Amino acid sequence: MADYKFDTLSLHAGQSPDARFGSRAVPIHQTTSYVFDSTEHAAALFNMEVGGHIYSRLTNPTVAVLEQRLAALDGGVAAIATASGMSALFVTVLALCSAGDHIVSSSQMYGANINLFEHTLKRYGIETSFVPPNDPTAIAEAIRPNTKMVFGEVIGNPGMDIMDVPAVAKITQAAGIPLVIDATFNTPWMVKPIELGANVVIHSLTKWMGGHGIALGGAVIDGGNFDWGQNDKFPMLTTPHFGYQGAILWEEFGPAALSVRIRTEGMMNVGPCMSPQNAFYILQGLETLGLRMEKHMSNTVAMLEFLVGHEQIAWVKHPSLPDHPDHDTAMRLMPKGQGSIIACGIKGGRDAGRAFIESVQLASHLANVGDAKTLVIHPGSTTHSHLTSEAMASAGLTDDLIRISVGLEDQKDIIDDFKQALRTAGKLTSTQAKGSGA
Amino acid sequence: MKLTLNNVEIFASTGGRDFNPSSGPVVLFVHGSGQSHLGFMLQHRFFANRGFQCITPDMPGHGLSKGEALTTVEAMADWYAQFMQALGIPKAILVGHSMGGLIELELASRCPDLITKAAFISTALAIPVNDALINLAATKESAAIAAMMDWGHGTAGHIHDHTMPGTSHMLYGSRLMAGNAPGTLHKDLVACNAYANGPTAAQSVTCPTLTVVCGQDRMTPRKTGLALQAALGGELVEIAQSGHMSITEHPFDVNKALRAFF
Ligand SMILES: Cc1ncc(COP(=O)(O)O)c(C=O)c1O
Repeated sequence: MADYKFDTLSLHAGQSPDARFGSRAVPIHQTTSYVFDSTEHAAALFNMEVGGHIYSRLTNPTVAVLEQRLAALDGGVAAIATASGMSALFVTVLALCSAGDHIVSSSQMYGANINLFEHTLKRYGIETSFVPPNDPTAIAEAIRPNTKMVFGEVIGNPGMDIMDVPAVAKITQAAGIPLVIDATFNTPWMVKPIELGANVVIHSLTKWMGGHGIALGGAVIDGGNFDWGQNDKFPMLTTPHFGYQGAILWEEFGPAALSVRIRTEGMMNVGPCMSPQNAFYILQGLETLGLRMEKHMSNTVAMLEFLVGHEQIAWVKHPSLPDHPDHDTAMRLMPKGQGSIIACGIKGGRDAGRAFIESVQLASHLANVGDAKTLVIHPGSTTHSHLTSEAMASAGLTDDLIRISVGLEDQKDIIDDFKQALRTAGKLTSTQAKGSGA
Repeated sequence: MKLTLNNVEIFASTGGRDFNPSSGPVVLFVHGSGQSHLGFMLQHRFFANRGFQCITPDMPGHGLSKGEALTTVEAMADWYAQFMQALGIPKAILVGHSMGGLIELELASRCPDLITKAAFISTALAIPVNDALINLAATKESAAIAAMMDWGHGTAGHIHDHTMPGTSHMLYGSRLMAGNAPGTLHKDLVACNAYANGPTAAQSVTCPTLTVVCGQDRMTPRKTGLALQAALGGELVEIAQSGHMSITEHPFDVNKALRAFF
């Protein structure tokens, strides 16, 4: 027996072959509830004296395999799977913050993450200060006595600014508050934020972790490396729970106190649980995470080689490129690969961008990332089409920006598709140039 | 609960229930090297809700207790006797895991009147610790913890299949151990390795005993567990599929054996 490595854990962690039928694949326990052996057994389950399942809003055997696999892959003491990445973030905030509390968050993040903090939580009395993720000094300065967490993405979506997790972890440790990281864009294959000092990891499993684009899902991984008893900032963990005979979770469950709180409050009272079927799909994806990530990375390198210096490409942004402002941090934190999202600008502005997107044949034009298939989107003609160029610039976007999520197709086929689409976009812009020049 | 013992603030878990030694049989859980009350998470809550007065202190330097770790098994045995006295516990059922079993042997030989029954889980008459691990604990504690988690777990632990849904044995165990005061693990391992009075102490154990022995235990291997049981007499329960961390890896089997024994 050994301390299993990443690719082995991706295939096996969390599952002992089914004792009754010997099923090798993870069985889909499509059930809402579980028969108790006796009233005593039921009482013991309700009181968290023994492990087991009561009701699938709380736990489910198929979902538990996924959770245990995620904990093993990210180096956490426990994990909780949720219906989506967004609900994973929400149940975490619910366990750490109350009205009157404050959050310090990266200003460069996935839009819904920003909106949750800026609009939704604000209505419930939780305030957020947004700061650049790559400026540890600004992060430190934004922390107040009532700050309960610092939050950011390792690779920001869509700007790809990099948070220097070890540097920020030093700041949060000194402040006695946890560092919560959205690790969707890096996955534990590229970097495990908990090993770098983060305390909680959030995933949208919808992206690379599942990898197939067939199931939404999220997860919270509890690093178990934060001393919740060091101050009185986290009463949800250090004072009697409203249930469980007033258990003090930090005393009773120690390193797993946060995940127990999330399970017994966020999952219990809000209920964003993952379905067993989706857990099964995401487990299928995780089995090949290492293999897929290697190919995502090598295809990204090939795509970058094609794009950089191409006559129709105005600029290319990727953390592996030396001119990326956080290049050094990216290479230090993620030496195996810096992600498979590329942003680039097409010469000819918004119209050329639109023409390119409409001309790709193999790449899919849609609003997702991290699929096995190559995806492209042009914010200027879709999600942000209502904005002027100036308004887009203030959101950190340019109207020529194309976001590419590099997939697993044969490199040559993707590049050929981009070549022909760029040719079409080029024709359009040269006709326009002629027209307007006349 | 918190109390002060020898001027050191000590934490003791009561399994989430009020502790009153006069309202039922007391069960005192004795943790092992580098562990804390949290190792017994799935025992003390269970028995506290079944009419037992459960108490699981963290030794100095461990878990939520302050102070510095004690350096010999003999001193640890004396500490538990003082702890019982401080809480007004006249007699208790003892449950010791790993080094906790050595402490129990020593306590039983020093103060037999304090013990009504003694359960020995994944332990032995002596627990020699190899020099490499002792040195690693001194120089690179995190590596020693990782090695102990690896050797300490059987199939379920290595495959991260926990009875508490969503939890990882080995990663939880690592964080639990890392939560002790720095240097604690090294002191515990030295104390464990040096303790030689087990065979003599075992002869003076007169109360009923239960020995739980695990088939995949690489830290106190099955045959050393069987030797302990042979020395003590008493009951024997074997859990073939468990590694050393039986209290978390196979809590149903351990609790079933303890319940039948209590
Ligand atoms: C970085 C990041 N975090 C969180 C989310 C939200 O995840 P989900 O769509 O699974 O709710 C996304 C989704 O696009 C994302 O890109």
